[in-house]
Amino acid sequence: MQAMQNFPPSDESMKSREPGDEDAGLPAGAEQSDLELVRRAQQNERGAFDLLVLKYQHKVIKLVARLLRDPAEAEDVAQEAFVKAYRALGSFRGDSAFYTWLYRIAVNTARNSIASRQRRPLDYEVELSESEQNNVASRLKHDDTPEATVLSEEIRQTVNEAIGQLPEDLRTAIVLREIEGLSYEEIATAMDCPVGTVRSRIFRAREAIDRALKPLLD
Amino acid sequence: MTDQIREQLSALLDGELPRDEMGLLMRRLDKDPELRRAFGSYALIGEALRAPGGRIAAPSFAARVSAAIGDAPAIAEKTSTARPAAAVPLQQQAALWKRPIVRTALAAGAAVTAVLLFRPDGTPVAQREVTPANSFAMSASPTPAQTQRLAGYLVAHSQFSTPMVRRNVLSSLLAADPGITRVSHEMGEAP
Repeated sequence: MQAMQNFPPSDESMKSREPGDEDAGLPAGAEQSDLELVRRAQQNERGAFDLLVLKYQHKVIKLVARLLRDPAEAEDVAQEAFVKAYRALGSFRGDSAFYTWLYRIAVNTARNSIASRQRRPLDYEVELSESEQNNVASRLKHDDTPEATVLSEEIRQTVNEAIGQLPEDLRTAIVLREIEGLSYEEIATAMDCPVGTVRSRIFRAREAIDRALKPLLD
Repeated sequence: MTDQIREQLSALLDGELPRDEMGLLMRRLDKDPELRRAFGSYALIGEALRAPGGRIAAPSFAARVSAAIGDAPAIAEKTSTARPAAAVPLQQQAALWKRPIVRTALAAGAAVTAVLLFRPDGTPVAQREVTPANSFAMSASPTPAQTQRLAGYLVAHSQFSTPMVRRNVLSSLLAADPGITRVSHEMGEAP
């Protein structure tokens, strides 16, 4: 096990992150990386925008699902938000973090969806037997669809189990990065190792977890 | 080699990839769906650790977004106002013809063309001898009948001109032919 003389990190190193900030957990480097991807997408490098979608898809869907009364619509509304963001990308000047900008678009898209649904006539309700109603109600806890809830729970369990099986140095590196939101340099200081080693450990941790997740997502 | 690329991908997600390594990685990502899948999976791991529970995107979500965007350029909204005339759709072109200012401009253009192509006696220019000096001399000294016809034309259409233009045209005609004075008085114009 690696020595961790500088762990936990000083308050000074965490000063840039405010509680409640939507970008909390992302080091400044991640914002710069997003801006670089945006710049490339603005030059019609489509792969760059695809990466931004892959990076923020879960975050945006979770956000939209919380706002909508019908979470089953979350993916459609999130998709619309990403398409709007892509079409408006030319006007993004980088005054704020990309996710803050995307967050606003997603919230507005969800609001518009709610407003347009309120203008629609009510759907006819399907009559269910009492037992069917109880079954559906129990499966729809947390206002989510049953498939999404089950998959989300399986992913959480798989990730936790995979992390538990990692060697100590890999587990520490990935936890400091993903949960504590430290930069590679801060992790290197905490774990008393070179930055290159941190980069390699985080990668190997992710690879191990990805191997465990793959059968679930294929 | 593959591990090295995937390590770069992991660093890219964390914003820790040096900028000079980004270009090559992006080109590889464009060609390799497995790399894109891995990037999505790395992002999902972080999300599952930071904020467990709640909805997650279906594996096909990013592909659906990409399909919905299609081939549209990212700067479409910005450049739409500066679209070249050749790219204006047919429906918009048809609408342009209906605008009053366009109709007026076309009518004025047709009138100028008619004046330039036809001599006062109605003979098309194409049938004239190509002797510029001669034609210039002719236009400089029209016959009284031609002058009278031209004056009548100008006076009849002077209602569409500004008072100053009317005055200038009539002044020049009066200087060329005093016989026009009668016509201008009938129109209420001062000589």
